Amino acid sequence: MNIEGKHKFLASQEQIWDLFMDQKNLEKAIPGCEKMEEREPGKYDVLLKIGIAAIKGTYTGKIEVVDPEPPNRYRLLGEGSGSPGFVKGEATIEFSQEGQHTIVSYQGDMQVGGLIAGIGQRMIGGIAKMMAGQFFKKMAKELKSQQ
Amino acid sequence: MKPSAFEYFTASTVAEAIKLLERYEDEAKIIAGGQSLVPMMNFRVAQPEVLIDINGIKELDYIRQEDDEIVIGALTRERDLELSPLVQEKCPILAEAISLIGHASIRTRGTIGGSLVHADPAAEIPLTIYGLDAKMRVVGPSGERTLEPEEFFLSYLTTSLEPLEILVEVRIPVLPQKTGWSFVELTRRRGDFYIVAVASILFMEKGGVCKEARICLGGVGPTSIRAEEAEKILAGQVITDELIEKAGQKAAEAADPESDYHASAEYRRDMTRVFVKRGLAEARNRAKGG
Amino acid sequence: MPEQLKTFEHKKRNWVGKPLKRKEDLRLLTGRGTFMDDIRLPDMKHAAILRSPYPHAWIKGINVSEALNFPGVRGILTGEDIAKMSNPFPVGVQVPPKYYCCAIDKVRFVGEPVAVVVADDRYVAEDALDLITVDYEPLPVVMDIEEAMSPEAPVLHDNIGSNIYSHRFFQYGDMDKAYKEADLVVKGKFHFPKYGSTPIETYGVIASYNPFSEDFVIYNNYQGPFVNHSLVAIALGIPENKMRWIVPTDIGGGFGTKTGLYPYIALIALAAKKTGMTVKWIEDRREHLLASATGTDRVTYMEAAVKKDGTILGLKDKAIDNTGGYIRAPEPGCAYRSTGNHTGAYQIRNLDREVLVVGTNKCLTAPNRGYTCQELYFSLERLIDLVASELGMDTAEIRFKNFIQPDQFPYTTATGGIYDAGDYQKVFQMALDKIDYKKMREEQWKAREEGRLIGIGFSTVVDPSVTNIAYVTLALPPEERAKGHPKSGSGEAVIIKMDPLGTVHVIACTNPQGQGHDTVISQIVADELGVHPDDVTVSNAVDTHDRVFSITTGSYSSRFSSVVTTAVVTAARRLKEKMLKIAAHLLGANVDELEIQEGKIYVKGSPDKSMQMRHVAGTAHWNQSALPEGMDAGLYETCLYTMPTSQPPDDLDRVNSSNTYGFIAEAIVVEVDPETGEVKILKWASVHDAGTILNPMLLEGQILGSCAHGLGGSLYEEWAYDENGQCITASFQDYLVPTAMEVPKIDIGHVEIPSPITALGSKGAGESSCMSVPACIGNAIADALAPLGVTISELPLSPNKIWHLIQKAKNHT
Repeated sequence: MNIEGKHKFLASQEQIWDLFMDQKNLEKAIPGCEKMEEREPGKYDVLLKIGIAAIKGTYTGKIEVVDPEPPNRYRLLGEGSGSPGFVKGEATIEFSQEGQHTIVSYQGDMQVGGLIAGIGQRMIGGIAKMMAGQFFKKMAKELKSQQ
Repeated sequence: MKPSAFEYFTASTVAEAIKLLERYEDEAKIIAGGQSLVPMMNFRVAQPEVLIDINGIKELDYIRQEDDEIVIGALTRERDLELSPLVQEKCPILAEAISLIGHASIRTRGTIGGSLVHADPAAEIPLTIYGLDAKMRVVGPSGERTLEPEEFFLSYLTTSLEPLEILVEVRIPVLPQKTGWSFVELTRRRGDFYIVAVASILFMEKGGVCKEARICLGGVGPTSIRAEEAEKILAGQVITDELIEKAGQKAAEAADPESDYHASAEYRRDMTRVFVKRGLAEARNRAKGG
Repeated sequence: MPEQLKTFEHKKRNWVGKPLKRKEDLRLLTGRGTFMDDIRLPDMKHAAILRSPYPHAWIKGINVSEALNFPGVRGILTGEDIAKMSNPFPVGVQVPPKYYCCAIDKVRFVGEPVAVVVADDRYVAEDALDLITVDYEPLPVVMDIEEAMSPEAPVLHDNIGSNIYSHRFFQYGDMDKAYKEADLVVKGKFHFPKYGSTPIETYGVIASYNPFSEDFVIYNNYQGPFVNHSLVAIALGIPENKMRWIVPTDIGGGFGTKTGLYPYIALIALAAKKTGMTVKWIEDRREHLLASATGTDRVTYMEAAVKKDGTILGLKDKAIDNTGGYIRAPEPGCAYRSTGNHTGAYQIRNLDREVLVVGTNKCLTAPNRGYTCQELYFSLERLIDLVASELGMDTAEIRFKNFIQPDQFPYTTATGGIYDAGDYQKVFQMALDKIDYKKMREEQWKAREEGRLIGIGFSTVVDPSVTNIAYVTLALPPEERAKGHPKSGSGEAVIIKMDPLGTVHVIACTNPQGQGHDTVISQIVADELGVHPDDVTVSNAVDTHDRVFSITTGSYSSRFSSVVTTAVVTAARRLKEKMLKIAAHLLGANVDELEIQEGKIYVKGSPDKSMQMRHVAGTAHWNQSALPEGMDAGLYETCLYTMPTSQPPDDLDRVNSSNTYGFIAEAIVVEVDPETGEVKILKWASVHDAGTILNPMLLEGQILGSCAHGLGGSLYEEWAYDENGQCITASFQDYLVPTAMEVPKIDIGHVEIPSPITALGSKGAGESSCMSVPACIGNAIADALAPLGVTISELPLSPNKIWHLIQKAKNHT
């Protein structure tokens, strides 16, 4: 399914680039991220406990920062598998300055496979959007706490 | 489809249940009717390590009137609410909405509290509670608090209930006489989760004027949506077909639908318009005494 | 082709034709039936299956070490074991895929088995599944039927090199001439969805292996043994008599889902062999909705060469069936089963067919109730309506115009089908009368003026029953068939015996799944032997060691009513003949002078010259020396009956693919809500010619069930996948089976045109309206939406889909 959106941050584009490149922030902001270890620069092993309310699944996988063009854009690839199945996503994240604000816009595709896809198709799209929104909210919180 | 292993406790009072929650916190899940939880456990999408069975907390099973509120215990079964003369008289929209939940056997087990806490975006009770502007009373180790629908429902399957809290009661303002109301929904089969649902309430004044309208949309967002701009169109007006038409179109703009296998976002948005229209016409009819 | 169909003398019946209540019901309604899950064997262990979450992927590795150490786990099998312990299942195509009961190096649909865990109970087995890690390398998927044929499509089977499992051309008559003589050619493209039957009881297997005698005992709920027993033996690499299948008395619905190749029988058998334990596996609903069996989805291009007066001169069609990630027996029957009745109820003598069977990353297929006919008739009957529309003709009129006439039976179709008996006009007229057709047309016009959309739809279809297995060989062209071994037949075996105390017992092999076979068998035997149905007992579940069976034995293609009943009658008459011979011998009379009534055999005209039936039994068992010279002792007769109309195809690819041919006229009136796209059924008439009615109550049950089933495929049910190959209807929340609330009142009618080739004149009716309803509802909705310029060419028609069609049509105007 397609996910896309925009968020506004009160900071410079360079600050936002650094914010999004910092592993510590990603670990806090990625929904359900319990562990994140850098394998090589830009490549991370992750343990995700993703879920909503009582519905939780544990996925082990990878997150990669690909084709970085600081401070304008990069691609984020992620995939994880666990007993409920797998999740796979990729997004292009772009930054642009607008006065004192930086606009972060993202466009991507997410695939969910296995159990959740089979019985949860009704809500997958909305929940994926919601989690993307949570990610940015948490990033904004990190930004605030650093300022 | 067998659940993963869990420990099982029963509680016979609210205090006991909270104690168990304090002990097991995130590992625990409360089970009442189980109509949503048990399938999730059988599919293993939910794997609580501890189940706290509250079906024995009789003190939470009641329907009564206190002044101008209908007060309902969280453990009250949907079927009882559907058949309750008090609810049918003082809060008929709730009885109507509940009659559309699944099938009778499901309603015999399902509870109003369970439905609210589960917060499915296409469920009848949460939508109706929004429309009624009912309050949720919640109890935890640090005391109790009362939440409005907008505070209670956060998103898909998510409420603002803290891990150690239990929903104990729902308080519904009694609808004045001559209030128009309707609950209409679009489903593929009888008893399915709805594609779109609309709960409408029209508070009337003398001369057939609508004092205040509540138009609540279900199935077109992560939680129910109050179509406030559409409501404004009707406030203080005599409700004509023209205004109903306009309100329908305005309400469609307030919808935030997703596409899924059964219905596209465009379809849901247009059905919002259609069902708001149909719902308002039905509510107006009831207001007239029809 | 036989010059003369074998005919039977049709007698007056006392019991056959009565709505006798079912013998099966008492045990079923009081919870005393015996289903697969009721069977408990000593020291039985339980299996759970790990299934692929990927639609198409290499399996790079499987790690089961953690799972093996989980307490309560008794053993685990993966594809590596399966490859060592078994062979691929044979299938009747020229280049078969390598299909094992478990994925070996590659998965080809979501839900394909990847490993099996055997544990002390199912809970523990599922816990262990969570501990198995599989390293998948995902591959691009192919989901669309037509895209699967393109050279750029991802290839599912490297050994085949393309996704086309079967491809043939057929020509009957002279289509060129038809085109030349035609005034008009009307074309259509149609898409029939993938859907199934979801029987209440899912698959179940209990297997054990004796390493000393090297044989298997496998309990299962297969509708066979059919071809499956032999194919599983070949896959397991064992002689066929080293595998005993036992089916419980009761099966909770099959509908064809349990007649396709049942790989789990082999899988659980191997689990038993490897672990040395008795292993039970009951499929859960999610597994069923992922990886059991459905009908094929099909894309059809069909065109008709017609004259202005509505005469259809010829048909040309290209049909592409999708059997999913693999193809398995009895496919490619999906393309060939309906060969004999391809031109339906019409006098169409010219036909060009192109047949393709392809694979995509979807789950596999089996003969789903109706098997190929719902796909065929959706196209054919929709096309008939399109022709009528082009010619400005009434949709009833055009059907009458083209029907085979009553005096033309037995009628041999252009494709080799031999329609035994029928009166299509009478049946269709009854349906028209039931919906008050003329009045409905008037109401439709009035409604249109009010902006309401009422539609009237028909489908008039030939209902083929009793498969002639010869049709499967049509996958090979005539030259190839000539080199190999021909196939033909529709055989069935029935044994009838009388015990020493004079009671009657029948042994058959139909593995009933709720049809009420035992009741009907009792009615038949009661008529033949002059006893009461309550006095007749029946064993009807397969035990491949103890029962007589053949490659065609089982319940499928509605064969019970025709071939099994004929076998029962024949066996009963043989028993009766022997009894009369014994009585004649003892009474000193001639056999022709004797009559049986209410347990007594007497000389016609001299009722005091008689003896009780049980005394005949007594002589046969207790006083064998008193029997006529040369007669065998005991009272035990067998009939192994195959219909003589089941012959191999000829060199022109003509084959009588079935044996008895009923007829259905379906008439449905709908109203479509133009705002929401919801469909309401206002009237529904379903009229059937199933030949002689054996038990009207049971027949009505079959018709109602098949109507609901057809309604499901029309408006609700679809085995759906997203564009990434994920099955998204893996629970009943999303796979929508119609409930009692969705099925309207149906006005059922009957016209009995007896078949001359079955003992009782009955034809099959088990599939019936599954074949006709989707086409009929498609036609009704198309008729309703015609003023909006909407055409209907696919199913299911959800409100969402109809709304989109309406919007699309609006945007074009």
